Amino acid sequence: MRPVSRIGSAGLAFYFWAFVLFLFAPLVVLLIFSVNSSPTPTLPLSGFSTEWFHQAFSNAELTGALVRSVFIALVAAAIATALGIVASLGLMALRGRALSMALTLLLLPLVVPYICLAVGLLILVEVLGSGPSLIAVVLGHCVIVLPFAILVIMPRLRSLDPAMNEAALDLGASSFAALRLITLPLLAPALVSSGIICFVTSFDEFAIASFLAPSGQPTYPVFLYASARTPALLPEVIAVGALIIAGSLLLVMLAEGGRRWAELRLVGANADTESVQSEAEDDQPPATVAMASG
Amino acid sequence: MSSTAVDPARENDPGTQQADAQAVRIGTGQVSLVALTKRFGTFTAVDAIDLEIPAGGFFSLLGPSGCGKTTTLRMIAGFEEPTSGQVLLDGRDLVRTPPSKRPVNTVFQSYALFPHLRVFDNVAFGLRRAGVARDEVRRQVGEALELVQLSGYAGRKPGQLSGGQQQRVALARALVLKPAVLLLDEPLGALDAKLRRQLQVELKQLQAQVGITFVYVTHDQEEALTMSDRIAVINHGRIEQAASPKDLYEEPANAFVADFLGVSNLMDATVAGPAGTGARVNLSDSFPVDVLRGDIALRGPVKVVIRPERIGIEPADSPGPNRVPGLVSNVVYLGSSLQLAIHLASGHAVSALVPNTGEEAASAWAPGMTVSCYLPPASLRILAPDQAPTGQASAGVLAAQRPAGAAG
Repeated sequence: MRPVSRIGSAGLAFYFWAFVLFLFAPLVVLLIFSVNSSPTPTLPLSGFSTEWFHQAFSNAELTGALVRSVFIALVAAAIATALGIVASLGLMALRGRALSMALTLLLLPLVVPYICLAVGLLILVEVLGSGPSLIAVVLGHCVIVLPFAILVIMPRLRSLDPAMNEAALDLGASSFAALRLITLPLLAPALVSSGIICFVTSFDEFAIASFLAPSGQPTYPVFLYASARTPALLPEVIAVGALIIAGSLLLVMLAEGGRRWAELRLVGANADTESVQSEAEDDQPPATVAMASG
Repeated sequence: MSSTAVDPARENDPGTQQADAQAVRIGTGQVSLVALTKRFGTFTAVDAIDLEIPAGGFFSLLGPSGCGKTTTLRMIAGFEEPTSGQVLLDGRDLVRTPPSKRPVNTVFQSYALFPHLRVFDNVAFGLRRAGVARDEVRRQVGEALELVQLSGYAGRKPGQLSGGQQQRVALARALVLKPAVLLLDEPLGALDAKLRRQLQVELKQLQAQVGITFVYVTHDQEEALTMSDRIAVINHGRIEQAASPKDLYEEPANAFVADFLGVSNLMDATVAGPAGTGARVNLSDSFPVDVLRGDIALRGPVKVVIRPERIGIEPADSPGPNRVPGLVSNVVYLGSSLQLAIHLASGHAVSALVPNTGEEAASAWAPGMTVSCYLPPASLRILAPDQAPTGQASAGVLAAQRPAGAAG
């Protein structure tokens, strides 16, 4: 490592703080205006108030959209993570060209614009005659979050000693018992990560939900988009936005704690603190990403 | 997978503890491989092996990496399906039996302990799969841990154990099921030299104690010689020789075995004709020697082999038959012995071990000295020439860096 000059290090510090400001300014603005008493988000601030939170939660349409989104995200995350496990197990058996072809196919939704997928799905449900429904939203979200699940689960699965599974078989376990008792518990940290990423992605998703959610049953982002253009609703939207930021932060911290607990369980209770320390440093970027997208 | 935290050793009735774990299993655990073949694509890993592994013995599959020994072991365990041939256990063909149903257990090279389960639950895994009652599981796990001297460690996670302890847990986990055959895939490979030597002795004692057939895969000839009742030397998917350690060392069937089983001097030579009960062999035109052992009926070009510790180093121009002058090119001090690299006048490079009997002996030889090498007729063997790498300069000189090999 070459020592950085004084100017260089000042420049780096400036860059860092500018980046942090850029990243967090919108969130901070949202938090500030959520407790501002004025109904329009303009400066100067007019005084502290929790009125908008009360109003937001007495708005049945808004809470309905919120609950709908949470439910859809939970189901999509559960299905995608389950499919992700199966897909990753299948991919383990492939090598070379077959592997890269299968991976490309499974990860395709990552590069296809959601809006195109949304249009395609809408046409599909119309052709099938079922029309827009919340189930269609869930299925659409499963398609787009499955790549995330695979990208999180597969590396973990590959890092497991293949002899572990063989040892379970050798000791008399059926293939299913080996999966249930050995492979899945060892995958637990990855499953937690996968669940969170899928949940947050689905909760946040706008394009597919706006095409496939039946009218009168919008998901939260769809409702938010519509109401942000109604000035009277804007303070409530801001208040809920602030709550979601706080909630995301809490979720990420809880999940991180859970993941670390699962990791610790694998190596034993008094794992050396050094590895935990270095892990904590590695964890910053994903936490920030998840928060920003929430 | 919940189980209450108890010290299993204390739980047990001390009277009945040892009896079951050491149940005598004479007559079961005999493995026969019949024309066993495994091909991966165009590569033949195991090439029509026929092998008898006697019941209750310590049997080693010895060979260089990639020779097919691990593949053979995995076919016995059931992780690889043979391309053709049979794996017979006490006369019954196992090929169609899945690994979970074979009365055979494996100790893996990586141990493959389940990191999320405590030592107790690792060892109990197989018993619980077999539906053994809870109290019985506790008793048998306690016995197995006692057998490998880990009674106090039942509550730990594998990550909290040293390599040697993990290795013992892997052993206990496999032995607790009382398999007919225990397969061990280089189980000591990851340990340091001192611990390895200690565990070699323990493993051998353990095998004698439990009486289960051990099939042990290793590339370490010293390990195989130390522990085994019988060894099969494998090369390129074929068995070069299967015999007792002593027979392998003393009566190698071919140049590969002679070379692989420790340091050997292999010399190209020509058999001139019979001489007494042996044969007269020309190491080169002007250096005939008498050879009493090996394929003494062979004629023409052959290999002649002699162990380094059997070469007598004498002052230059010592009189008598079977003596070849040589030039000492290198002396390596090994502590208990000296290893001399010698260029023989016949054109061969050999290495010789001289016991370090005292300070005088230790300083008697130095590079550049001319000596006379006595090659006793009873220590020289004639082997058919084969495709194995010959032991010219490379084997002798390289071998000089490997002191452990010669002890046998």
